[in-house]
Amino acid sequence: MSAVPAQSIPAPERAPDRLRWLRPAPEAVRRARPRLAYAIIAVAGVAAIVVAQLLLSIAVTQGAYEVDKYQIDQAKLARQEQQLREDLDRVQSPQYLAANAEALGMVPNASPVYLRLSDGAVLGEPAAADGAPGATAPLVPNALIDGVPLVTEQQTEKTPTQGQSPAQGKAPGAAGNAGEAIPDHAPAPPPVDGTLPTPATH
Amino acid sequence: MRRILVFAIVMVVLVGVFVVKLVDVQIVRASALNVQAQDARSVPVTVYGARGDIVDANGQVLADTVMRYDIALSPKQAAKGPVTREVPDPADPGKTTEVEVPLEQVVAELGAVVGLTADQVQGIITSAIAENPDDDFEYVAKLVDTATYEAVKKLDIPWVVPYQHPSRRYPNGAVAGNLIGFLNPDGESLAGLELSEDDCLASEDGEVSYLHSLKDWVRIPGTEVVHKEAHDGGTLQLTIDADLQFFVQRIAEEQRRAVGADWATVTVMEAKTGRLLAVADVPTIDPNDPAATAVADRGSRSFTAPFEPGSTFKALTSASVINAGKGDPLSRVTADYRYEPSNGADINDSFFHGPTPYTMTGMLIDSSNTAMSMFGERLTDQQRYDDMLRFGLGERTEVGFSGEEPGDLHGGPEEWDNQTKYATMFGQGLTTTAVQIASVYQTLANGGVRMPVSLVDSCRSANGETTETEAEGRRVVSEKAADETTAMLERVYAEGWLADKWNIPGYRVAAKTGTAQVPDGQGGYLSGYLVSVSGFAPADDPEFVVSVSIMNPVKMNSSAASAPVFQEVMSQVLKKYRTVPSGAPAPELPATW
Repeated sequence: MSAVPAQSIPAPERAPDRLRWLRPAPEAVRRARPRLAYAIIAVAGVAAIVVAQLLLSIAVTQGAYEVDKYQIDQAKLARQEQQLREDLDRVQSPQYLAANAEALGMVPNASPVYLRLSDGAVLGEPAAADGAPGATAPLVPNALIDGVPLVTEQQTEKTPTQGQSPAQGKAPGAAGNAGEAIPDHAPAPPPVDGTLPTPATH
Repeated sequence: MRRILVFAIVMVVLVGVFVVKLVDVQIVRASALNVQAQDARSVPVTVYGARGDIVDANGQVLADTVMRYDIALSPKQAAKGPVTREVPDPADPGKTTEVEVPLEQVVAELGAVVGLTADQVQGIITSAIAENPDDDFEYVAKLVDTATYEAVKKLDIPWVVPYQHPSRRYPNGAVAGNLIGFLNPDGESLAGLELSEDDCLASEDGEVSYLHSLKDWVRIPGTEVVHKEAHDGGTLQLTIDADLQFFVQRIAEEQRRAVGADWATVTVMEAKTGRLLAVADVPTIDPNDPAATAVADRGSRSFTAPFEPGSTFKALTSASVINAGKGDPLSRVTADYRYEPSNGADINDSFFHGPTPYTMTGMLIDSSNTAMSMFGERLTDQQRYDDMLRFGLGERTEVGFSGEEPGDLHGGPEEWDNQTKYATMFGQGLTTTAVQIASVYQTLANGGVRMPVSLVDSCRSANGETTETEAEGRRVVSEKAADETTAMLERVYAEGWLADKWNIPGYRVAAKTGTAQVPDGQGGYLSGYLVSVSGFAPADDPEFVVSVSIMNPVKMNSSAASAPVFQEVMSQVLKKYRTVPSGAPAPELPATW
């Protein structure tokens, strides 16, 4: 019996302690609610990331097709560029230029004469060009220009397309008699409109 | 309880098997499987590095790299019969329909594109099948251009595959073809600068691999692996001017044909720098088609074919005599057409004349061997030999052209016999290359300072680094000796027998002809001659050296054959570089006394 009171005596002392310890309990209830919100946010976040990942992946794949298309385009254009550059190099080779110049009736003049502006002195001895050299093609061969037509041979196709200068309309009668070799856009002073005159070429 | 035990054992064994397999796959065979997987999913692709361009002094392209294509087919697949092809549906233009195209038609179409007949293409297939029924690879055409490639692709034949094949192209054809050299179809350099400057030009192919989608082979982003970087070759810039080179080759070839010569070389050099502006060798190779030119004509004789220079060499001996203080343009000898020095040699002139009171100037104008011998013996053999070495003879020039020859000074004074001692004074009994002779005249034109001969201006590597060669001159003879020799050569130009053949109005020119005998290789001489002219202009302020050599011109066996070439080339050079004409005429010097 003695034990009971002995036990019961401290009990009231302990009780307030327990009460103090239990006091935070309502807070624990409050804590549980935010955890759910966090979970929702986390899950939503994961979902968002997954969706974003998916969208990115789709975009990248889509991009890959686009890149592929552009790469194919680029390769095609590079081939075209090479082809055009080859044509350009071919027609600007000295053999082709010389053959064209001669076909157009041009001759080299080996005696240069200079006019000195400071005193008007004529340096060198003027002499008429004799037009000695001919047929250059076989002398310095170029396998790349075999079969490329000279400008004089292209003349017939090109003449109708030109005609930017009003003077050309009157010129053909005069120049045409001189033969195919001479282009019929003969000297016509370009109209001066305040800018530098540039030759109308085709 | 027992059931549980059995189940547990089964589980342990099963898991054990999995673990063993896992270790085997992930660790033991990991690398091999990785490679296998990579191979199965990815394609290795060769990335071609472009061999460097060769450009002239102005940047005009003389050699560049282009992509060509080899067209291959699979005979095995071809033999299976007609090809299914999608064509627009005639009933509904929006859709396509599949039609069967017979093999004969496909073969004819392919042949037409690559330049073969249908029978030839069919022949390739048939003979390949006859040899090996499983043959899956035969070439139809090699090195076709882009247009043909596009046309082949357009045919869309499933058993025809084009392969890339980088190739070399020379847009200017034979212009400088002698110098540039060429490659074989496999891309190995065989001759000329392509060979000697291969270090600069060579490229390196790389390799990448990537994963691709199964159906349409689209590259999957982020899967590209570079196994080896590709490197482009460097750009080789020459000192040559392509336009001038073209002109010079044309003049040389025209004259070579006109006089029926074996070959001709023309060298144009800048007098103040030693830069070669043009080196023509005719006949010339067109590197686009090397096989069209005879093997002997494929290189540059200017560097590789030494010859006995003959009388053009007298300028060098005269400069040596003046340099040693043993004479000047007015020094006097009396020379007969025949001279027998005390050592037993026997010297003759090419024309008959009695005892003539020659000045040194007169000796050069008449190109008298006997008078030259009398001046030359004022020096010791060793002195003359040393001068020749200083002029750069007997060794290869700084160019280091592939196959370049050093020339042969007949071993040196100790090995010269009595006749050779005198012959070397007027350019016989020793050999030089055309470029060496041009260099000798460059030295005289440049006040006695020899500049290193240069053909390559620079090498610009793909990442922009430029390697240039340093040019530092070397004094060979005194300025006085060079200038006095120049003054004498001007009189040769003005009064020599070719004066009206090589006249360039408005300019002072210094020049000397040579008509040299050609050794037959057995101690004697051939009947033909090597005729030459070397000189420079304007003589009052030399800018350009031109040296012309023509081998065995059967229709005109004298330097009259080379003089017009000199005249035309020098005129063109002076005109092209806008050289100011000389004001006053050349000062007079007496030829006799």
